[in-house]
Amino acid sequence: MSLDDPRQLSLPGFEAAKARWQQEFAAHAGDAPNPRNRSGIEIKPLYTPEDWGPERYMDDLGFPGQGGMTRGIHASMHRGRTWTQRQLAGLGVPADYNARLKALVESGASAASLIPCNSVYRGYDADEVDPLLLGTCGAVVNTVDDMAVCFDGIPIGEFSTALNDPSPFTLLAFLINVAERRGVPLASLSGTSNQSDYLSHFVCNHMFFRLALPGARRVLVDHIAYAQAKLPSWNPLSVVGQHMQQGGATPAEAMGFTLSSAIQYAEDCRAAGMDPDRFLPTFTFFFDISISFFEEIAKVRAARRIWRRITEERFGARNPKAWRFKFHAQTSGVDLTREQPLNNLARVAVQAMAGIFGGLQSLHTDAFDEVLSVPTEKAARVAIATQEILKREAHLTDVIDPLGGSYYVETLTNAMEAEIEAVIARIDEAGGMYAAVESGLVQRMVGDSALAFQEKVETGEQTIVGVNRFRVPETAGERPEPLRPPPMERIEAQLAELARFRAERDRGAATRGLDALARAADSEDENVFAAVVDAAGAGATHGEICGRLRETLGFGNPLIVP
Amino acid sequence: MTDSLPPRVLVTKIGLDGHDRGSRVVAAYLRDAGMEVIYTPPWQEIAHVVQLAQQEDVDVIGVSSLSTDHRLIPKLMAALAEAGLAHVRVVVGGIVPDEDEAALREIGVAAVYHPGASRDEIVGGVARFAREAQAEKEEAIG
Amino acid sequence: MGEPAEDVRPSLAERLLAGDRAALARALTLIERGHDRVRALMAALGPHLGHALALGFTGPPGAGKSTLVSAVVAALRRSGRSVAVIAVDPSSPISGGAILGDRLRMGEHAGDEGVFIRSFASRGHVGGLTPAAVRAIDAFDAAGFDVVILETVGAGQSDIDVAEVADLRVVLDAPGLGDDVQAMKAGILDIADVLVVNKGDAAGADALHRNLKGARGLSARGASTPVLRTVATTGEGVDALVETLDGLAEALTLTPAERRRRRARRLLAWAAEALVARLVGEGRAPGVDRLSDAILAAEIAPDDAARRLLAELAP
Repeated sequence: MSLDDPRQLSLPGFEAAKARWQQEFAAHAGDAPNPRNRSGIEIKPLYTPEDWGPERYMDDLGFPGQGGMTRGIHASMHRGRTWTQRQLAGLGVPADYNARLKALVESGASAASLIPCNSVYRGYDADEVDPLLLGTCGAVVNTVDDMAVCFDGIPIGEFSTALNDPSPFTLLAFLINVAERRGVPLASLSGTSNQSDYLSHFVCNHMFFRLALPGARRVLVDHIAYAQAKLPSWNPLSVVGQHMQQGGATPAEAMGFTLSSAIQYAEDCRAAGMDPDRFLPTFTFFFDISISFFEEIAKVRAARRIWRRITEERFGARNPKAWRFKFHAQTSGVDLTREQPLNNLARVAVQAMAGIFGGLQSLHTDAFDEVLSVPTEKAARVAIATQEILKREAHLTDVIDPLGGSYYVETLTNAMEAEIEAVIARIDEAGGMYAAVESGLVQRMVGDSALAFQEKVETGEQTIVGVNRFRVPETAGERPEPLRPPPMERIEAQLAELARFRAERDRGAATRGLDALARAADSEDENVFAAVVDAAGAGATHGEICGRLRETLGFGNPLIVP
Repeated sequence: MTDSLPPRVLVTKIGLDGHDRGSRVVAAYLRDAGMEVIYTPPWQEIAHVVQLAQQEDVDVIGVSSLSTDHRLIPKLMAALAEAGLAHVRVVVGGIVPDEDEAALREIGVAAVYHPGASRDEIVGGVARFAREAQAEKEEAIG
Repeated sequence: MGEPAEDVRPSLAERLLAGDRAALARALTLIERGHDRVRALMAALGPHLGHALALGFTGPPGAGKSTLVSAVVAALRRSGRSVAVIAVDPSSPISGGAILGDRLRMGEHAGDEGVFIRSFASRGHVGGLTPAAVRAIDAFDAAGFDVVILETVGAGQSDIDVAEVADLRVVLDAPGLGDDVQAMKAGILDIADVLVVNKGDAAGADALHRNLKGARGLSARGASTPVLRTVATTGEGVDALVETLDGLAEALTLTPAERRRRRARRLLAWAAEALVARLVGEGRAPGVDRLSDAILAAEIAPDDAARRLLAELAP
């Protein structure tokens, strides 16, 4: 039964009641046109069994863990195991990161996420950039020793670690070497390579633009193959919808692009001879959760269905683990404001709720001062507490998919599904995500959406409280103290540490490691990531590894579509 | 032939951050207001920004800064002065803590636009600064 | 023509001639500003012209022009020559503003004092080239640049414009842009000195290469126009292109002075077009409407009507 078929309802009195409601509604609300959500879907004032009904239950929903898994990828969802508390952390020098990590663990975090300094993202060692920019928004990690300090006193074999670590994944290479040093079996290293989605970086011009597109493509496949062979608890791929959405894509577009990217990566893996039933289960996703509450819930519910179809129909996957759409969510920083920053506490709570109702596997809640600078410790604590309050005080996780069956949410989920599929079809037509990104198509679409949204804010069609309405004259003193960058002495100490490392290492071994890396990149069938791990173990630094690979695999130049 | 020129604005990013959604939106606003915008990718070296400003004879430089890249602005201002480009107005847009904003204004940054600044505010400001810069150029060279 | 508001101080021209880049940049701005301010400047530069070779690069959007130009600049630099690039981007017809993004793809030359890139907005000139951009060639010539590259979005008419203004014309195409016949439209083949198939490693490049080779036999220039293949992103084929251009430059029959005059004629043609547009456009005399009606009613042939208009202008 299609959505457009008039649904045969046999509810006595329905039509009469509806007519009366319509009259009263029009009398009070007039006939202004229905608003549209961010993805452009029209939103009616009321949804009824005419829009969706329980006879569609098995087709559309089914039970958690079954079929399209609209209601959730596991039978027990958050009742069985609550989502991973994974807060981002990244600060200054490794010792500072270690201290912040220990504090987070104490306040309930069950997993770690490491954000490196922008200099690391760009592929440089600390001594290659202006010291003014070091350690201001992330940890400066250039060597295996630095990684060891970051995780000092943390049982890495029992902890889930997400590394924000783009190609060629040096941070993971360092972590692997730390594990080997400590005698921790690699099979117990669990976590995710969080910034492995090079296509989204290319589109959104993120900080870490290191290797040219073709080189990044090769290194990712090698990385996934390595993880399959040696890191059974590690997810080498996180396909990132967050970048697109933060860059301005609508929620439907962001999801469509992300799924198209996942299709592209899966095709590349399959072309390299890997088995979809083995690699698909290691694909994870990462999404922005905006404050468009219902739209976000519908977005991810629809995505679960679509992913099931993609994995089965396009890749013939028969392993149920391959069908599961696992995602980490971060509340969207783009919705937060500098004006009246305490308002952001409310925004983050609403965003987090949307993520929870959407059935996420892992959640990061932004701190309310995120827009002012790097979050302070106090604000970060409140962000974690928010999750606990929603879970334990509001009991939001007692029921799986509590909004399931809502006439509105089911209608919206189906509508979002159609929008997302349309985006995927458009990318298919363009030859797949790699080709679409290479040609600038995706960049144009994202840019157009960004402009369109900004237009709505400018005209006031979209209110941003405190910004274009409900403004309050503020003085600077009312804004919380931003986090200051690390004092120059600590940066200088870190630079000295780097110099010491270089002086004390076996330079011959490091050089040989880098040469072997270059040879692997030149070859057709050697695993580049394995060579990265070896080079790191031999004492090569992050900047040296990236620099060497750039020589063979090319420097990535962003494709800007103004 | 007209005697006045549309404002020429360089929109760029220095430092390490690469998020450019904001600078793209601003570039579009400026274009829609009739200005000529030279738009660069992120991660520009300061020396290159100075070279660009000189070759393109810009009136205003708009620097988009999200993480702490604004800490490099003093170096940019010094480089511009040294190259004889002190008449070029510099505005900064993005995330800048309050104390840093005051410091930037002190070294001659014409304006700091925070997230939430309206299009009219930005376009109006840039237009005004461009006129000032053009007037100063007239005096200097004629 | 009015009196110049103020004469440009000779020292600006002197500084430009001495290689001062700041003076050059200022001079370019003055050239964009308007002819009264520029008269003295151009007079001062006049005796120092005739050295630079002007290369025009046109082609449809998506063919990789900017990337190719950047690669050509690199090749020219390797041979020790200084290069100026005039990059023209279209102005918005609605707002009059423009995003000048051509030089985005030429970032590899940052910091090189031997390369000067200047972005021009088309400012409503449908062809893409503006009188200012054309005069800029002289400014760069006087400043001592060996090669001046003119790069515009090609779409038929502007290709023709560039043809008259440049000494050598490179017309670019690439596979997969949807219209293989494009190059053959608007007489492009008649004006191209070199045809280049960029993205030469992509599917369809062979076919395009063949098509162009076949088509040039039909053009007025005959079958001798070189058809080259490049991959601008890797630099493949670029050295061969520069070599070809150097060979053609040596064989140029017009002297530099004659080439400059041809450029000037193009400016004159533009001015005439602008004049005619004013005559028959808004603010036109009532007589024009009467003439138009007469044409529609077949009472007078368009040619005769035009002659009548001209006669009124210059009795």
